[in-house]
Amino acid sequence: MSYSRFLDPEVLARIDNLELLARTVVDGFINGLHRSLYLGFSIDFAEHRPYMPGDDIRRIDWRVFGRTDRLYMKEFEADTNASFIVALDISRSMEYSSAGISKLDYARYLAACLTFLSRRQRDRVGIVTFDEELVDIVPASAKHLDIVLHTLDRLEVGKSGGLERPVLKMAELLRRRSIVTLVSDLYHSPETVLHSLSYLKNRGNEVIVFHILDPAELEFPFEDMGNFEDLETGERVPVIPEKIRDEYREQVRAHTEGLAKLLGENGIDYFLFDTSTPLDYALFKYLSRREQLSRVR
Amino acid sequence: MGISFLTPLILAGLAALAVPVIVHLTQSARKNVVPFPSLMFVRQIPFRSVRRQRIRHWLLFTLRCLAVVLLVAAFARPLLEGSTEAVVALSRAREVVILIDRSYSMGYGDHWERALEAGRRAIDGVGPDDRATLVLFADRAEVLNQRTADRATLHARLATAELGSGTTRYAGALEVARGILERSDRPRGEVVLISDFQKAGWDASEVLQLPQRTILTSVDLSAPDPKNISVQDVTLERDPRPGGDRVTISALIANHGSEAADDVELSLELEGESVQSQAVSIAARNSVMIRFEPISLPQRVTAGAVRTGGDALSSDDVFRFVAVPSSPISVLVVQPNEREGGGLYLQQVLSLGNDPVFELEVKRGTRLTRADLASTDVIVLNDVPLPGGEAGRGVRDFVREGGGLLLVLGRRTPPSVWPASAEELLPGTIGAPVDRSAEGGSTLSTLDYDHAALEIFSAPRSGDFTMARFFRFRSLQPSEGSRVIARFGDGAAALTEKGDGLGQGRVLVWASDFENFWNDLAVQPVFLPFVHRLVMYLAGYVEPEPWFEVGDVVDLAAAEGGGGEGGGGRIPGAGFERAPGDEEEWVLEEPRGERSVISVEGGPIFLELARPGFYRVRDASPGSSAEPIYTLAVNLDPSESDLATIDPAELASVATAGGGGGGGGEALAADVAELLTPQERERRQGIWWYLLSGAALLLLAETALSNLTARYRSHATVTAPRP
Repeated sequence: MSYSRFLDPEVLARIDNLELLARTVVDGFINGLHRSLYLGFSIDFAEHRPYMPGDDIRRIDWRVFGRTDRLYMKEFEADTNASFIVALDISRSMEYSSAGISKLDYARYLAACLTFLSRRQRDRVGIVTFDEELVDIVPASAKHLDIVLHTLDRLEVGKSGGLERPVLKMAELLRRRSIVTLVSDLYHSPETVLHSLSYLKNRGNEVIVFHILDPAELEFPFEDMGNFEDLETGERVPVIPEKIRDEYREQVRAHTEGLAKLLGENGIDYFLFDTSTPLDYALFKYLSRREQLSRVR
Repeated sequence: MGISFLTPLILAGLAALAVPVIVHLTQSARKNVVPFPSLMFVRQIPFRSVRRQRIRHWLLFTLRCLAVVLLVAAFARPLLEGSTEAVVALSRAREVVILIDRSYSMGYGDHWERALEAGRRAIDGVGPDDRATLVLFADRAEVLNQRTADRATLHARLATAELGSGTTRYAGALEVARGILERSDRPRGEVVLISDFQKAGWDASEVLQLPQRTILTSVDLSAPDPKNISVQDVTLERDPRPGGDRVTISALIANHGSEAADDVELSLELEGESVQSQAVSIAARNSVMIRFEPISLPQRVTAGAVRTGGDALSSDDVFRFVAVPSSPISVLVVQPNEREGGGLYLQQVLSLGNDPVFELEVKRGTRLTRADLASTDVIVLNDVPLPGGEAGRGVRDFVREGGGLLLVLGRRTPPSVWPASAEELLPGTIGAPVDRSAEGGSTLSTLDYDHAALEIFSAPRSGDFTMARFFRFRSLQPSEGSRVIARFGDGAAALTEKGDGLGQGRVLVWASDFENFWNDLAVQPVFLPFVHRLVMYLAGYVEPEPWFEVGDVVDLAAAEGGGGEGGGGRIPGAGFERAPGDEEEWVLEEPRGERSVISVEGGPIFLELARPGFYRVRDASPGSSAEPIYTLAVNLDPSESDLATIDPAELASVATAGGGGGGGGEALAADVAELLTPQERERRQGIWWYLLSGAALLLLAETALSNLTARYRSHATVTAPRP
């Protein structure tokens, strides 16, 4: 039986246990890879750092000591772990679902799988959820996988959304360089998104953006006229869908292309998914980027 | 073949087509509230009513009309006229695709001979109405013949098949088979897959669905409990010595079998002769790293290999490499005058390093002469302005001709001390010092990790620049065309590269000092690799590849003269210079001994490394040295050494949609049998049954579609909060 059917978000929604879900997806995904992207050991030299009491003296670089009279430790790539933080948008707009699962549930599964995958790669994992403020904060640690999954499991939709304020606070909280994965529906202008994420980027963090949208938000398939109600503000606008469909699609396309262009030019990876996209596609995108980040030549 | 009706009066029922029209036209639009995530893109428009009485769902309307037409046609009892014998004959014909795995793991024991025998049996099963195609595959698929029913042609093509050096990839082979089957006019398809069914070649996300009515027949050649020991990797740890490099060679040996392997013999060979050997024990499904004793290598390119042996798959028992003498980078550091001191940290880091070695020479600014630049790869002006006069002209000529120049700005290099002639070399305008000591110092906020000099630092914790504090730095206004590689916290340029206009040379400007005076970068761990990378970039240094992998392609022309931008510096021995008047011909020696002439005419010389072994390129001109110009070691992809298998039934079930392919063939045979019964004419009226079934399917589809439409029409739902 193919593992791919287990990666369908709608099928995954039937699994209540979030850890089981993440394990199912990640194991299926890893088993499908040709060769391990993370196993094995490396002897690639990564960096020197000063000796500290308690360090293994076998890793002292005696050659450097002989030349400089100072003790430095040699660190290798396999010894170095990254910090992986999921920044999850739980604003009211994420609750939306036209069919299948909601954006929040999809983001929840995606975050669980990415966290589980990162932990499998021996990274420290953490999570930050936010709406217009930071809501949950779990710092990155090698022991926090269960806490992250528990946080994801009990997530509830928050208030209306914001980006700059919570991201700025998040950047101030991160004490070491991390891989920050933002999962959001990004109802902000591309300039606002870039400005907000630059708080993270300028502090040396690697930022990856997963833009989650419902298929109905992309295609606007509505037929009948009606009052469209904004989930975050409660504002209602009378709309004849067929009159504005083309223009709406064009605006969404311009928005997503603008995000991709602006973020790409500034070294931020941007991926757009709708909630029907199988999770392995997102994992593959992330793992490709993760592999690129861990490359040392 | 024509159609008539037994009860044509029933066709009057087509008047019922008016029913769906009435249903559509009587539908009323409903006003409703549609929750939507954000109205950011929804244009504000006034609510306007539209005419209700028009058809909106054309697909639904068409489905309903078609259902009515099929129902009426079924009750009218249509009758098919004409003969079916030709159809019956053709219905038995097959399109056969024989896929034979030629990956190097098929060299295990007698697998390849058994694969060819299985291929011959498959060819013998091709009937006169069938057509067959032979496909050899590894990581790429190769079609051996145009589809044919001629068994002799197929046997002749199979006799030319050879074992390959690639890795197993089933998806590519099945894609080729699908293309052949989709273009076929034969009603039945069969794919015969002859392989050892390695798990490494299976990717569930890539496997394709073969067309309907296709049978996948697996011929499994895998051994029940394969034993295989392979050399997976080799590393060379270099210790440069004056008379020749001292090299420690390590090899990674893997045991892919389910039983431990004791006393596995390993030998290290140089230029074809065994120089060291070791015995090692490896646990089941495990690997060990073996270090040989350090050896001295001559000052020339040396071909070597680590070899084990004694198992059924011999092709992965050897790992080849090429050891190249270290190529030092000559660095000339120009310091301020002696009474001003400085340069300790820079000289310290440039005195370290094995791969490559830096040959350091230090000159005081006032003593620099043009002759000092003759044998230098990189010049570092360490807080010293560009000298005037002949020495300054010498530096400019040095850069134009391909040299590297690193300018370090500090307290001794204010704008006033730079001569006007330095403008050609500077990537911007040097300004006054910027003091950040009151704020506790600035940091490097932005680094362009895409730049070749900083690419190595792009991975997390592979060089932390954030710990360095910059209390003072010199402002630099970059000129147009220059590239800022690193910036301080306030956006000021920290590391800038001069743009075009300097010939082959490269110029970098670092806007603070290397003295632990204006900043503390010099005492940070990242300082050493940072300076090394800058110098290696300025010198155009590219580390030669000790080996390549089967399937790689190299450009021999790019290696000539040192590689340059073409990446040819990766080729061991790169840097060969042809003398004027040399014959424009080289001879290529391939691993199996074949020799061919390469014409050197100035363009790229692409060489695909298709087989494992050593490729050697020699100068064909009379009187030239017998030593090869280039020697390239080529190894197999080690992932193929793992002989773990998958269940062929699993692959077949995915590729044929749950194993339905075989059922499709049987169903067709049953259809044909029905056509040959004595009641054939009566049966030909059976089309009414299909029409009724079609109508039922259409009505089911209509129900599903109308429900879906109704759901969208009502509104998009909001999921309930989780309890």
